[in-house]
Amino acid sequence: MRVVTPFISIGLLLLVWQAVVVGFHVKPYVAPRPLVALKAVSDNWGVLWPLVLEIIRETVFGFLGGAVIGVFFGVVMAKVRFLQRIIYPQLILSQAVPVVAIAFPLTVILGFGSVKPIIAIVIWIVFFPVTVNVLDGLSHVDQDLLNLARVYGASRWRTFIHIEVPGAVTPLFSGLKIGATYAITGAFIGELVSPPLGGTNLALYVEHANSNFDPASVYGVTLLMAAIGVAWFLLVAGAGTLATPWERRSVARRWRRRSIAAPQVDH
Amino acid sequence: MSVVEVARDDGATLKGVTSTVLLDLRAVEKVFADKVVLAPTDLRVDEGSFVSIVGPSGCGKSTLFNVIAGLLRPDGGSVTLQGRDVVGATGHVGYMLQKDLLVPWRTVEDNITMAARLTRRVGANDREEAREIARRYGLGEFLDHYPKALSGGMRQRVAFMRTLVTHQQLLLLDEPFGALDAQTRLDMQKWLLDVWRESGRTVLFITHDVDESIFLSDRILVMSPRPGRIVADVDNPLARPRDIDILTDPTFVALKARIMHLLHGGTS
Repeated sequence: MRVVTPFISIGLLLLVWQAVVVGFHVKPYVAPRPLVALKAVSDNWGVLWPLVLEIIRETVFGFLGGAVIGVFFGVVMAKVRFLQRIIYPQLILSQAVPVVAIAFPLTVILGFGSVKPIIAIVIWIVFFPVTVNVLDGLSHVDQDLLNLARVYGASRWRTFIHIEVPGAVTPLFSGLKIGATYAITGAFIGELVSPPLGGTNLALYVEHANSNFDPASVYGVTLLMAAIGVAWFLLVAGAGTLATPWERRSVARRWRRRSIAAPQVDH
Repeated sequence: MSVVEVARDDGATLKGVTSTVLLDLRAVEKVFADKVVLAPTDLRVDEGSFVSIVGPSGCGKSTLFNVIAGLLRPDGGSVTLQGRDVVGATGHVGYMLQKDLLVPWRTVEDNITMAARLTRRVGANDREEAREIARRYGLGEFLDHYPKALSGGMRQRVAFMRTLVTHQQLLLLDEPFGALDAQTRLDMQKWLLDVWRESGRTVLFITHDVDESIFLSDRILVMSPRPGRIVADVDNPLARPRDIDILTDPTFVALKARIMHLLHGGTS
């Protein structure tokens, strides 16, 4: 049931869309019915799929870059309070700047038509929620637990690795999940401002469909990108579940167990 | 030290047995922002003994612990453990609080070996010791469980096992059973006495509960606030091994009355 409900929920949304378009006699050039939109995608799949692969690649690489940079800033700010006071305002400012506005200078700097500004925009969007959550996780370690480590004679490095880092895994994945849903948006904006010279991409495809009064393709590709975003979110969320077994399980997974005690039943 | 242990196992008193001083505090004091949290304090604790500290909040008991553990540097005085100066140093005591401080991402076994993990590489013998101690004290079935699957009493047991396998002679226990219900608490007290007898460690035990302090210890130190200081050092003559029936023993009741009187400002 827990697996089925999200699909029912999204199916309901499509039904409402269908009902609104049919019920209010919305003209096909204003908004298509959902099935018509999906058909526009499948009819042009031969043209679309390389573009889809490309935007997935940009989304994934940008996301990974954003994750690494996000973790880096989070750790640096948590460990060096002085740097936190200097870097944090700048990072907040970076997010207050409209990303579409910053996208143009980024393409000028990194090369118009290149994939670099696209990746950079995805990184720009993804790193921030990761940084904020990692910083939060590292800053809220129980002081008594840190004291206990000190009493044991633990070094700062070992305390960091065995106490602070594992404690920040859950917040890290909260940040990554937010970043995962935003990443595809970043890639789309990037493609709009930095189309390949003499070539095309998914954003240009949507732009052309829009100027050719082909809302079926616009809506269809939009649905497709939403699906990519959702799929990426689910992958990241799944990785989070694997990385934090203690959140859901009472007993460690078999392969994680070290003891040679009698076999136990998982629950 | 084995002499003392044998004597205790027989249920005899410690009289006549020569004992060595394990912990020696001289004129230790601590001041926070012009407030004397701990007035110059002397304290000697014999190896293998069980000493409780009772007193109201703000009497400096936790400060005293933190000075001994090395978390706080005293503003004066000396702290020696087994003849070694330990002022400002860490890594020489076992330490346990009311909060179990088990990490949720480690299993029971890996929580028990936490001290080793924080100071060096965890070896096969560390793991074997953790399993052995967990089995001996009834948690063998839970070695692969995460802490959240355990009850409060079980978690405190795991926390105490983690403290034991540090192999420190001196264990500082700061209200370890303070958050447990009365029944669990009594079970834990009996369990602690068993483990203490078998392990031959020295325990310094902070509590708010006078009954608990008498039930467990050889000596009870009564502390008082403003400034934090030890106002009385009471010997507990009750024979060991002890069971719950001593809670109604006249000696117990008289001792309790005396300590309660001291706690409320009386003199002995």
